[in-house]
Amino acid sequence: MNFAKLAMRRSLCLAVILFVAAMAAEAHHSFAMYDHSRTLTLKGTATKFQWSNPHAYLEIDVHDAKGGVKHYTLEGTSINMMQRIGWRSNMIKFGDSIKVVMAPVISGEPVGLLLEVTLANGETKQLGVPASDTFKRTPEQEQRP
Amino acid sequence: MIPAKASRRFSRRIRIIAVGLLTLSSFSLAYAQAPQTAASIPDITGSWERARDASIPAQPQPPLKPQYQKEWLAKTQAVREAAAKGAPLADRATLCLPEGMPAMMGATFPIEILQSKGQVTIIEEAFTQVRRILLDRPQKAIDDVEPGFYGNSVGLWEGSTLVVDTVGVRENVVFQNAPHSANMRIKERISLGANGILRDEITIEDPEKLEKPWTFTFGYRRIPNYTLLEYICEDNREYADEKGQQKIRVAAPENPGK
Repeated sequence: MNFAKLAMRRSLCLAVILFVAAMAAEAHHSFAMYDHSRTLTLKGTATKFQWSNPHAYLEIDVHDAKGGVKHYTLEGTSINMMQRIGWRSNMIKFGDSIKVVMAPVISGEPVGLLLEVTLANGETKQLGVPASDTFKRTPEQEQRP
Repeated sequence: MIPAKASRRFSRRIRIIAVGLLTLSSFSLAYAQAPQTAASIPDITGSWERARDASIPAQPQPPLKPQYQKEWLAKTQAVREAAAKGAPLADRATLCLPEGMPAMMGATFPIEILQSKGQVTIIEEAFTQVRRILLDRPQKAIDDVEPGFYGNSVGLWEGSTLVVDTVGVRENVVFQNAPHSANMRIKERISLGANGILRDEITIEDPEKLEKPWTFTFGYRRIPNYTLLEYICEDNREYADEKGQQKIRVAAPENPGK
């Protein structure tokens, strides 16, 4: 099988997976704008945890070794869904040191879909993203920002 | 000293009064909990979640007339392709709009059913959607119902099945992207199965757009001790751009939420 055929088959498979995922989410808007092929792990400082619907948002500042700061906006799921899996609004506070695993937005902006958070107390929590297994996790050492 | 015979008579009277009071109080308690008196009416009050049970048939595509079917297939294809490219099309949920009927019965989030005198109320947690089914009343003429998200619903218990008729759903409130006319009628048969699964068999009648009535069924399972949560669609940072694509605002707004 040549490469083009293989790539086509792969993208077809992906389309089917995405369609099924979209059908599962039904009434909710799509997460298709996020890259399903890789994740980024960020360690940073929480500047805002917005507890709202349709989705929660987490704002974080990520400091690099040269003293620079990059700000990221991370989209969560519905706070109703989050509450049903044990989330509370006070779990992330301004200034908390946290680690997140996110799927970056395809457009390249500093935005991501939040898949997992390690809270300041060391506890790791998932976000309950529908069909979250369709987001391929990248091991931390292989990541490119 | 009270003679033994009088004492027995007295205690028998006390027993009769006590039994009478107990019967009366349990009667009024039962009345307060289930105003419908017919024994066949099931108690469906409480919280339910969507159940994809084997007894529920798979949902068929809308049997649209050929000219609408073509548009529907093109739209479905466009939605699918846009999502596969990572540039999804915005939809009504992007705009924070509630689903309306019949989509809300799909229960993306849990629903709560309340049976009260002359009315069955259904609340869907997502978007805090509420529909009221007025019992034992004639349906209005479609022209007498102002078009809305939920329409005008009337129902009656046929034995243990709640039969509901809904008209007056706005034409831009669509389910599965299927177009409908202002004359659409939604018929429902809601019944509780022996397996504890509540079924809502929905039939959409719309001779202007459909070749034949479109029937599908949603199933629900009870969630004991679950209280529906608040849901206000307050700040969707995703929005529809001028091309109808779903985009995300990067900067945080001043102060929605906390």
